Amino acid sequence: MTDFHSMAKVSVGQILGLVEAVDEVGGVADAATISREVEMDVDRLGPILVAAEFLGLVTVEDGDIRITELSRKLLTAGVRERKRIVREIIDDLPAFRLVMEMARSSSTPLGRQEVVQALSDRVGSHQAEDVFNALVYWGRYAELVRYDSESEQLTVRVAQT
Amino acid sequence: MGDAQPLLQVKDVSKSYFDQGKEFKILDLIRFELAERDFVCLVGPSGCGKSTLLRIIVGLDTPTSGQVLFEGHPIRADNPQVAMVFQSFALFPWLTVAQNVELGLEALHEDPAKRRTVAKKFIDAVGLTGFENAYPRELSGGMKQRVGIARALTIEPLLLCMDEPFSSLDALTAQNLRDEILQLWSNPDLPPEAVLMVTHSIEEAVYLADRVIVLSSRPGRMVAELEIDLPRPRNRKDPEFYGWVDEIYSLIV
Ligand SMILES: Nc1ncnc2c1ncn2[C@@H]1O[C@H](COP(=O)(O)OP(=O)(O)O)[C@@H](O)[C@H]1O
Ligand SMILES: [Mg+2]
Repeated sequence: MTDFHSMAKVSVGQILGLVEAVDEVGGVADAATISREVEMDVDRLGPILVAAEFLGLVTVEDGDIRITELSRKLLTAGVRERKRIVREIIDDLPAFRLVMEMARSSSTPLGRQEVVQALSDRVGSHQAEDVFNALVYWGRYAELVRYDSESEQLTVRVAQT
Repeated sequence: MGDAQPLLQVKDVSKSYFDQGKEFKILDLIRFELAERDFVCLVGPSGCGKSTLLRIIVGLDTPTSGQVLFEGHPIRADNPQVAMVFQSFALFPWLTVAQNVELGLEALHEDPAKRRTVAKKFIDAVGLTGFENAYPRELSGGMKQRVGIARALTIEPLLLCMDEPFSSLDALTAQNLRDEILQLWSNPDLPPEAVLMVTHSIEEAVYLADRVIVLSSRPGRMVAELEIDLPRPRNRKDPEFYGWVDEIYSLIV
C-alpha cells in the first residue's frame, strides 16, 4: 500500500504517454533518454515511472526502462478496454480491498474521514491522504468507486463491463 | 452529385483589422477544402492568424473578404454540424463533469432525460465515466480537456475544430490525447467525421494529419498544402516522420 500513494499525483494519460514514448524508441531506453524524448525533467518523470512500474507496465533494471506485454495490450486497446485492463490490475491492491471490505460491511456510504482514518492505521497518517486521493482518482477511472467531493462520501460502484 | 461536395470550403478568405484608418492585414487569400474523413492541421508561427482563421471558419468571426461554405452554405455560428474545442478548456468550475458536458446540449434537446443520455454516451467515449460527478478542480489538465471534447461531441458534429487543444498539457498527457482523438475520428460509430486542428507544433501536425496546411508569418498566407502519406499508427522516431517535420520546418523559417 505504501507504493500506491505515489500514484496520487500521476494520471492515466501520463502513464500511457510514457509507455508510448518507450515503445517508439524501440521498447527499451534509459531514464535520461526518455526524459529528453518526453520533454520532462527526471524529477517530474520519476513518479510517473514509479507508477508505471507499480502497475506492471514497465520494468526498470540497471537503469533501463523496458515496456511489458501488458503495455503493448494497453497501447492498442480502446478507451473501454483500457479501463478494463487497469481495473484488473488495481482491484486487487490492498487499498482497494480495504475500502471494498469497509463498504461491504457498512450500510451507509463511507465518509472521507472514516476511510482516511482506516488508511492511517495501515500506512501512517502522513501518507493516508495521498493514498485516499490515489484511491479516488484510480477508483473513478477504473469505475470501482464513486466519490462526491461535496458530501465527501465514497461508494463502491458496480462496473458496466 | 451532392456527395461530391466538400464538407468545408474556405474561399479566398482575407482578414484585416483597421486602426485609425490604417489597415493591418492578418490573413491573405486563404483557400482550401476539407472533405469527410479528412484530418487537416493548420500550422504556422505564433501570430500568423491561425486562431482568427479558425474563428472565421466556425462562424464566430467574419472575413473582410472571401467566404466560408459548409456543405455548400455560408457558415453560421449556430451550425450544429460544426463544434469547437478551445485551448483553455472553458469549463464552469461550479458545475460537475456531467453538467459541463450537458451544457453543450441545452440548445438541442429540451428534455433533460434526453440530455443526460446523450451526455453519458460521450462522457464514456472520452474515458470520463467514473468522473461524472467530479468538479473541474478535481481534474488534471488532460481530464479537463476530455470534458471539453465530450461537450463538443454531444452535438454529434460532422466537423470538429480545435484550436491548440493540447498546448497547455504536459508532453505525455498531450500524446495520450492525440491518440484518443485519432481513435474517435477513425471510429465510424462516433463523431466527428472530419477534424480541423490548429497547432504551432509541427511534430503534432505530422503525427495527426492527412494533410497539413502551412501558413506564413503575418499576414498569414498559404505557403504549402502537404499530404502526409505515412501509415498509422505513426512513430515519431521514424526517419520518414522526421523528414516531414524538417520539410515543414524549412517552409516556416
Ligand atoms: N481584435 C483584434 N484587433 C486587432 N488585432 C487583432 C485582433 N485579434 C487578433 N489580432 C492580431 O491578429 C494577429 C493574428 O492573431 P491570431 O489569429 O490569434 O494568431 P495565432 O493564433 O496564429 O497566434 C495577431 O497579430 C493579433 O495581434
Ligand atoms: Mg492562436
